[in-house]
Parts: sequence; structure tokens; C-alpha cells
Amino acid sequence: MSAARPQDLACRELVELLTEFLENALEERTRTQVEQHLVLCPGCTEYLRQFRATIGATRKLAEEDLTEAVKEKLLDAFRHWRQGS
Amino acid sequence: MPSATGDRGAEPTMRAWKFLAAGRVAPFGGHTWPGPAAGEPGAWVRFPEREVFACRADDLPWWIAAELWEVELEQPARTLETQVAAAAGRLVRRMTGWDDGAVHAYGVACAERARALAVEALSRDGRTEEAVALARARGMLELCRVARGFAGDARNRRSSNLAGYLAESSMRASEGFAAAAANIAANAAVAARPDDPGAFHRERQWQARWIAQRAGLVPAV
Repeated sequence: MSAARPQDLACRELVELLTEFLENALEERTRTQVEQHLVLCPGCTEYLRQFRATIGATRKLAEEDLTEAVKEKLLDAFRHWRQGS
Repeated sequence: MPSATGDRGAEPTMRAWKFLAAGRVAPFGGHTWPGPAAGEPGAWVRFPEREVFACRADDLPWWIAAELWEVELEQPARTLETQVAAAAGRLVRRMTGWDDGAVHAYGVACAERARALAVEALSRDGRTEEAVALARARGMLELCRVARGFAGDARNRRSSNLAGYLAESSMRASEGFAAAAANIAANAAVAARPDDPGAFHRERQWQARWIAQRAGLVPAV
């Protein structure tokens, strides 16, 4: 362990990194920061659990499982998300 | 088998420690590590695209979880800032001294360190009655309540900051979030000695020794 304090990560930063974290796409130092934050933060640990559960649930869905109304709602949400980003 | 010094020895394996969630579950990856059976270590765990990670004794406070295991890592192991990484690892034995009671006691012990710093700072700032009240507070919840009441005094920033750290650390300890209680206590050590660049590291070392002794990693002194 070095004498320097590893840089703390804020909850908001962790949320932004979560997708890359789950895809194992973070560089080592950032990944360690995410993991160290998770050890300290029950809120973010629960968020990660829910995130994983959502991925697991949606992975089981096929396109034909969605009604037209739900499809339209989703597409609308994605359009607005693009406009807002 | 060399101990977990992080060096790349000529030995084929090195000994280290690993925290897992209840049931030998990796806290971040979610997979279950195979346990030892019939006196033999568990099966080797190896991932196609990433390494396995474990702790040296000094790394322990960074990775607190419900179960602590002695692990064997394939050499060469890479030494990182707060952990070691290797191509493969396997569980050797569970450190049974580390259980729910130990996790709770660890959080409390760390918060008590923050209490000592806060009491000292309050006394130094002439806040004697507050120092006495803090010293007398019983239990983590009462300690949190009392410390919180002393955290807002802007006239004595250092002692007020320390009371604030103590309030947070004792609250986390009372909730059972020992890792957070410990991290806040280490930050309290920095707040108590802002000119000392080694304050955080030394507090983490104290925490590592506490865990090691409680879990039976080293003989009790």
C-alpha cells in the first residue's frame, strides 16, 4: 500500500462509469476506484445490484415480446434522451 | 509458499488474503469461488480476460466484506497500490476469526479511534465540557448524536470537523458499515494532523493490524 491516498470517487461519478465497469472496459486504476467506492457505499452497491438485475431481466426480452404501444414509448424515450444529451 | 509481500518470487505460488461476500461470492463479479474440500484447497479460479485479485495484510482495510479467506495466487503476481493481481488463485482456508461480530467490532474500533482524536481536539480548543461529554457517550448511536451536536461550531474549525467525522464514523459503525466507518476514521486522522502526509496511511496500517489480529492472520501480541 502506498503512502498516498487513492483518490475518492463520488457516487455521481460511479453511476457514469457503471456501464463500462460491467463491460470490464475501465482502465485498471479507475476500475479499482469504482470497486473501492462500492466497498464503502451501500447505496451504490444496491444501485449496482439493481442495474445488474435490470440487465438480466431485459436480456430475456425479445423484440416480439413488446407490444406496439411499449415499443413506441421506448422509441419516444430514446428520441428525447438523444435530444437531451 | 512465500507470504503476501507482493514480490515476484521464484516460488510457483504466493499466499495472500481475499474478502468475499457471504457464500464465497465475489463482491464485484458475483461468481462463487470453489471452497476447499477434504483438506484440499478449492479449485483454481482463472478468467479468460482478467486476473484474480487479493490482498496483502496492509491492503485489508480497503476491501472489507463478510468473509475473509487465505488464498494461493499463481506467480508471478503483480503488486498494485491496494491489492495484488495474478492469473489464477484458489481458496485455501477461511479465516474464521473474521465473522459478523468481527466486522461490527472493527467498525466500532475505528470509530473509537476517531473519538479519541475528537476528544483531544476539543480539549485543545478549550471545549472541555464538550470533550468530557464526548468521552462519556456510550454506544455508537449516542456517540453519533453527541458528536453531531458539536460539529457545527464554526469558531473552532478543526475540533468541529473532527466531531463531524466522528458523528459519521460512529453512525456507519452503528449501521454495520464497517468499511465506511474505517474510511471516515482514516480521514479524521488526516483532519487531526493536516500537516502530516502519512496520517491516512498510518491509520490504515492500524486498521490492517486490527483486522489481522482479530482474524488470526498473525499471532496476537
